[in-house]
Amino acid sequence: MLFPSRYSLERWSYTLQRITGVVVTLYFVLHVIETGNFVGGPSVWYVPPYDYARAYYEEIREFLHNPVFDVGLVIIGWMVAFHAVNGLRLTLAHFGITLGRPSRVEPEAPPRSFSPFQRAIFWISIALAVFAVVYSLNALMGVLAA
Amino acid sequence: MSERRLMLLHYVTGIGILITGAVHLWVVFFTVPLDQTIWETTMLFDNHPFAILSVYRNALLASTLWLLLVFTTYHAMNGIRVILMELIPNRSFVSAIKWVLIALGLFLVVYGTRTILIAYNIR
Amino acid sequence: MEGKVVFTVFRHDPSAGERPRFVRYEVPYRSGMTVLDGLLYIKERIDHTLAIRYSCRMGICGSCGMKVNGLPRLACFTQVSELGRSIKVEPLPNHPLVRDLVTDFTAFFSKHRAVKPWLIRKDAEEQENPTRQYLQSDQELERYIQFSYCISCGLCYSACPVVTALPEFPGPQALAWLYRFYADSRDQGGRERLRLVDDATGIWRCHFAGSCSQVCPKGVDPALAIQLLRRAVLRG
Repeated sequence: MLFPSRYSLERWSYTLQRITGVVVTLYFVLHVIETGNFVGGPSVWYVPPYDYARAYYEEIREFLHNPVFDVGLVIIGWMVAFHAVNGLRLTLAHFGITLGRPSRVEPEAPPRSFSPFQRAIFWISIALAVFAVVYSLNALMGVLAA
Repeated sequence: MSERRLMLLHYVTGIGILITGAVHLWVVFFTVPLDQTIWETTMLFDNHPFAILSVYRNALLASTLWLLLVFTTYHAMNGIRVILMELIPNRSFVSAIKWVLIALGLFLVVYGTRTILIAYNIR
Repeated sequence: MEGKVVFTVFRHDPSAGERPRFVRYEVPYRSGMTVLDGLLYIKERIDHTLAIRYSCRMGICGSCGMKVNGLPRLACFTQVSELGRSIKVEPLPNHPLVRDLVTDFTAFFSKHRAVKPWLIRKDAEEQENPTRQYLQSDQELERYIQFSYCISCGLCYSACPVVTALPEFPGPQALAWLYRFYADSRDQGGRERLRLVDDATGIWRCHFAGSCSQVCPKGVDPALAIQLLRRAVLRG
């Protein structure tokens, strides 16, 4: 059931939307905690010459300077882009927009709910997700520059 | 709240995240501290993405970030609830997990708000 | 295409306490042969104990739904020539197993009944003893005619990933029938109908995976009906 190899694109979008949603949620929780630690509390910033702030900054930057986090961020970039655009597609569909209209059945015609517009947004979400990967690879690792 | 309201909010927050999240990404990727003042007051150095902190002294951007925090928290917690209630269709489990998710959501909003306020108040 | 076709058929009798198993049968190929023809050949010439359910053999009654090569299909509506030499036949998922390829549709039909698949009239007397024909225009017919082609074969129900996880979900068939009557100009159920599925295990659990529309043998497109129904519920 997890890998719907014989089913249509919409089924893949359903599975991917769930997986990306869960993973991005995990990232979101960690991101809120990490940025909260990063500012280190108000007192850090009140004492010039801000030695505490500098220490916090260095400490956490060292912790985050790790290929595992970099690879993770690239994957998160892919997932956020996909989930966002595919989620927009699903919202439109759930409100009955961008789907075909019901009609008399044409034999062998693809279902009206798999409209070209819907399919197009799905592929745009994939394309944007790939772009996000390229962008984040470039930003984090300088793969393209090398 | 009725399931209809909960799911309607799911769509609304989703669209909200698209907008506020776009602002957030734009700020992260295309705004770097340019002048000496910001460099000094934030104590964040060079072009590192975390120089972002200085940006959130702007009230408009800070409140956009706060909205993103609230939207994402609701959207994520409701999404997890939906997935869990479909995977484990046990009524007592569903009502138990609801409180766990509400607690986690409150923690995220409170802790995130603290971060945003600190960044906003750094002078 | 000449020669033999290999059928790998799921065999299991829950009441006998034996383990589920797959049995191979070789069936001579005939031009125009359907999967149901092959299974009937097995039942007549090779193994009489094979249990299958079928009736009309022409895609109208919706009795012979089964999982053929990984997808829910009507056995009588599926040509052997479009599948190749090796065919794997299993019972429909999401329906409880009775024996071999026969599944229990009790839950499926009770969900079907729960959405009140009949015309509702506000006038109680008119409901029981209709006095006239209810006329409608071509445009009014177009709004629901596609969804009324449903033969209740249960293929969409067994393809739906939500039903697999959440057995209380009404399933594509029941929801499509609900919309079919909601959209009918002769029906006066209105918002009362929408309230039937506006709950935590109802319409909100559809996430438009579209598998129902993919497997429907009659082109009903239940996914479209469900999204239109959800639009109606969202507008309250």
